[in-house]
Amino acid sequence: MKSVVIAGYARSPFAFAHKGELTKVRPDDLLARVIAALVERTGLKTDDIEDVIVGCSFPEGEQGLNVARSISFLAKLPQTAAATTVNRYCGSSMQSIHQAAGAIQMGAGEVFVCGGVESMTRVPIMGFNPMPNPALKESYPEAYCSMGITAENVARKYAISRAEQEALAVASHAKAAEAQAAGRLSDEIVGIRTPAGLVDKDGCIRPGTNAEGLAGLKPAFTADGTVTAGTSSPLTDGASVVLVTTEEYARANGLPILAKIRSVAVAGCAPELMGLGPVPATRKALARAGLSIADIDIIEINEAFSSQAIACMRDLDIDPSRINPDGGALALGHPLGATGARITGKAAALLKREGKQFALATQCIGGGQGIATILEAV
Amino acid sequence: MKIERAAVIGAGVMGAGIAAHFANAGIPCVLLDIPAKDGPAKEGTDRSAIAKGAVAKMLKTDPAPFMHPKNAKLITPGNLEDDLSLLADVDWIVEAIVENPAIKSDLYKRIDPVRKAGSVVSSNTSTIPLAVLTEGQGEQFRKDFLITHFFNPPRYMRLLEIVGGADTRADALAAIADVCDRRLGKGVVHCKDTPGFIANRIGVFWIQAAVNAAVDLGLTVEEADAVGGRPMGIPKTGIFGLMDLVGLDLMPHIAKSMSATLPANDAYRGQMREHPVITRMIAEGYTGRKGKGGFYRINKAGGGKVKESVNLQSGEYAPSEKARLDSVSAAGRDLRKLCEHPDKGGRFARRVLAQTLAYAASLVPEIADSIVAVDEGMRLGYNWKQGPFELIDRLGTDWFAELCRSEGIPVPALVETAAGRPFYRVEGGKLQHLTTAGVYDTVVRPDGVLLLSDIKRAAGKPVWKNGSASLWNIGDGVLCIEFTSKMNAVDGDIMAAYEKAMRLIGDGKGDWKALVIHNEADNFSVGANLGLALFALNIGLWPQIEEMVEGGQRTYRALKYAPFPVVAAPSGMALGGGCEILLHSDHVQAHAETYVGLVEVGVGLIPAWGGCTEMLARHQANPKAPRGPMPGIAKAFEIISTATVAKSAAEAKELLYFRATDGITMNRDRLLADAKAKALELAQAYTPPEKTTSYVLPGPTAKAAMELAVEGFALQGKVTPHDKVVCAALAEVLSGGEEADIAKPVGEDHILRLEREAFMGLVRTGGTIDRIEHMLLTGKPLRN
Repeated sequence: MKSVVIAGYARSPFAFAHKGELTKVRPDDLLARVIAALVERTGLKTDDIEDVIVGCSFPEGEQGLNVARSISFLAKLPQTAAATTVNRYCGSSMQSIHQAAGAIQMGAGEVFVCGGVESMTRVPIMGFNPMPNPALKESYPEAYCSMGITAENVARKYAISRAEQEALAVASHAKAAEAQAAGRLSDEIVGIRTPAGLVDKDGCIRPGTNAEGLAGLKPAFTADGTVTAGTSSPLTDGASVVLVTTEEYARANGLPILAKIRSVAVAGCAPELMGLGPVPATRKALARAGLSIADIDIIEINEAFSSQAIACMRDLDIDPSRINPDGGALALGHPLGATGARITGKAAALLKREGKQFALATQCIGGGQGIATILEAV
Repeated sequence: MKIERAAVIGAGVMGAGIAAHFANAGIPCVLLDIPAKDGPAKEGTDRSAIAKGAVAKMLKTDPAPFMHPKNAKLITPGNLEDDLSLLADVDWIVEAIVENPAIKSDLYKRIDPVRKAGSVVSSNTSTIPLAVLTEGQGEQFRKDFLITHFFNPPRYMRLLEIVGGADTRADALAAIADVCDRRLGKGVVHCKDTPGFIANRIGVFWIQAAVNAAVDLGLTVEEADAVGGRPMGIPKTGIFGLMDLVGLDLMPHIAKSMSATLPANDAYRGQMREHPVITRMIAEGYTGRKGKGGFYRINKAGGGKVKESVNLQSGEYAPSEKARLDSVSAAGRDLRKLCEHPDKGGRFARRVLAQTLAYAASLVPEIADSIVAVDEGMRLGYNWKQGPFELIDRLGTDWFAELCRSEGIPVPALVETAAGRPFYRVEGGKLQHLTTAGVYDTVVRPDGVLLLSDIKRAAGKPVWKNGSASLWNIGDGVLCIEFTSKMNAVDGDIMAAYEKAMRLIGDGKGDWKALVIHNEADNFSVGANLGLALFALNIGLWPQIEEMVEGGQRTYRALKYAPFPVVAAPSGMALGGGCEILLHSDHVQAHAETYVGLVEVGVGLIPAWGGCTEMLARHQANPKAPRGPMPGIAKAFEIISTATVAKSAAEAKELLYFRATDGITMNRDRLLADAKAKALELAQAYTPPEKTTSYVLPGPTAKAAMELAVEGFALQGKVTPHDKVVCAALAEVLSGGEEADIAKPVGEDHILRLEREAFMGLVRTGGTIDRIEHMLLTGKPLRN
């Protein structure tokens, strides 16, 4: 097995869709700017790039037309670098990393730019033309279960109280606000010029979020439910990218190695309980790495919803205090296609920053799937 | 001179509202107020926070000062210290600051050096005479200065009182009057420079007289409003309801300022009186709807909602009791009968009318040259159905003179002059009014104003009519259909009138060239006649109901594809079937205040006179929407399933109830003329529209997508069980039905058939019948 490493990570600020500071930025421009900055920061020889793999949940409209190729051009990458757009919904950009790692292992290239993007302002969730199969809807309606309802289903199945969900959101905002104030997020963020000026800070974090405030919100998805807007990740605009290559190439070219990829996994689960996807995916990835959850030092678990994150932690035996040290998606936001690269890049950067051994990045995926990556210090 | 850009100084409710209305008219407007000193921390050092805050607040105000939220962008907010230079670019500056002559005078001196040469400055004062305002100002300023008095809220109240001074340039006065009329859509009334001008002079007297009479004669607020509201042709809020709306605390201010400026012998001085109950209410914060409540309040104590009213004698609140007065029920619409009735309601009507109308009659020519201006002022400024002189005519001038005598009021000179003759008469088909000289003059409409009422008066009888509609010759070969049914509900007779119009006009190459659909009622049409539909439902006349649906489709289609142009000119509400006729017209020339919607789901139905078909066509062809078969369907579904009503013609354009090419007329009085001109323009080389044959509809796939959306809303508790039934029927229509497929485009006949099938399916459900019954009984939708 070759040693495949993450040798660079950058992202745009994340901002509220529809009302945030990135609403007027096209998603292809957004990721292109982040990739260009990563190239500049790492000194990557762009002629060596095999492929640009971009994850996107709704690759249509401004995210359509194989957006990865447009992004490559916009980022001024050489035309010899190929480009592909991949879709595994929320797991899309983690999938792009897995795809690169797999290609490297089979000798199908050495340098991969793996990113993800989603403008939830400019391309709506569900896309412009949602056209579900009526026969499937009839025979297996769970296939089209909406995300909010899956969060309610998980909360009910695991008897997760509203207060418990809100406590996770309060903690997520507190950690993110603290990280932002201490400047711990600025290294990874690439400032974006917009018509209104430079945006270089995350826009979704609400410092001072407290239990009382959250308790006043109405249920968002069912009249008698426990999931609210405060315990759901917000609709977000954002882009992220990591550089995936071999340890050998990275060393030879002086690239900043953050971590190596130890194992990866994807797994399917019930679509109406899609939030549980990280459980089987993480178990598979741990088994492939020959590790147990106790061996993991850094955990980035995507907070699509409080309820599903809590349920996964229960099943995987993770102490909530151990996750997402700089805040999770409840506070930072969840631009669907961009989240996977963010949490993988973040986990790698944290391994390095904290000087730890193993990290896990995992997330749930609409339609009933999970995806997980285990990283190891180099 | 041209008015291209404007400014308003003072970002209070009136100033900001005037700025918003400039924006509604497409006129960019600067809005200045004093610099914010201690603004909220969030706004930091923003010195223009007051004007900016006013704009932000207006975007959340209901009823909306803006006809479309995007209009807010036409306002440039600023402050009076840093941004005075912005005034250098504007043609008209409206001052709407505190009613204090010294402060106004200072402001004028500050703006005079920076304003553009030839620009006009006007004050929105409601009480200060022009002569006082211009005192000490330079000669050029006096020439450029006038008063423009808007009413609150400026978007909705049609009256604009305009006052020129001795020095005011005639061209400035004319230019402002013209822009107020055509661009802002106001009814411009020229007034003399007297306190309160026309509407407030009479209106304030009227309110005071009514309060006094209610207290003295022992009427409850409900009784006073029952007599003083509809029977007198006044909005149903009546007098006390009106005071709750404008604010009780305004009364003492107005009384004070009126008494400072009115002539010493003015009759208002005799009416001025402080009522301890009202004084106490104001002191305790019961200032009306803006405060804790007013003469009426909603008591929410104990979790309920109880409408209460105040006892005018004791000041205590008690549950509101509906007024039951013999006078009101016996008189009906007969004003004289109301005044002659011996009960306290009759005595109240007699006293208030005698005092108020006599006061108004005594003020001509002091406040205006003619009675026409006074009547128009009260109609447009206080929403009276008829002005004081029109009311006197209803009573008879002789009878009114007698009434004055019996009430101990001097008979006004003008009433003596009338000597039994009416103030208005029709001579040779023309409306005439009595002048102060005792002779009749023809009422002259401004250039470009065409009123159906004038045409009807002149013609005497229509070209054709039945029980629900009339056809009028509006000249130059244009035929006009006027609805005359109750609330202009659409029924078989209206359909028959369309058919008749089509037969008369034929190929449009004979005597008749075009059809205009217009009426002067408050509301263009509230939709199909539900009462008739329910009657047919209850006795199971299914074939007749089906024929009603299919016949309506046939008629509307025939109008759409007729060989002559059809122009609709709506104002007010155009709902359901009244909206569908607009969708089938070649052109809509809408009054800016037109409220359009396909609201059928409220009564458990779907639009089935082609409304779904037309909305689908428009939204699928919308160049601004994303491509693909779903966005257009989803938008039409969203609009129809939620019974979305556009709250202005501008909003109607956005929802595609109106096309981008449809016209908007700001002044209601100019609507018919604009519509007629458009009809004649279209008639010059008219070709009917092509039939739409290529609806690309995904059938069951689209239906599944819409059902998923509805299921989501149902879980959120936003969709009732019967909503789901109605939405399913609507989804069936908009999806194209079982057989539709994106590879097999369908024509409009296919969708029209689906409309009929969905309609006939729904009328057979108990949920829909319950909704219709509930609507007919209560006027409100049933959420079953």
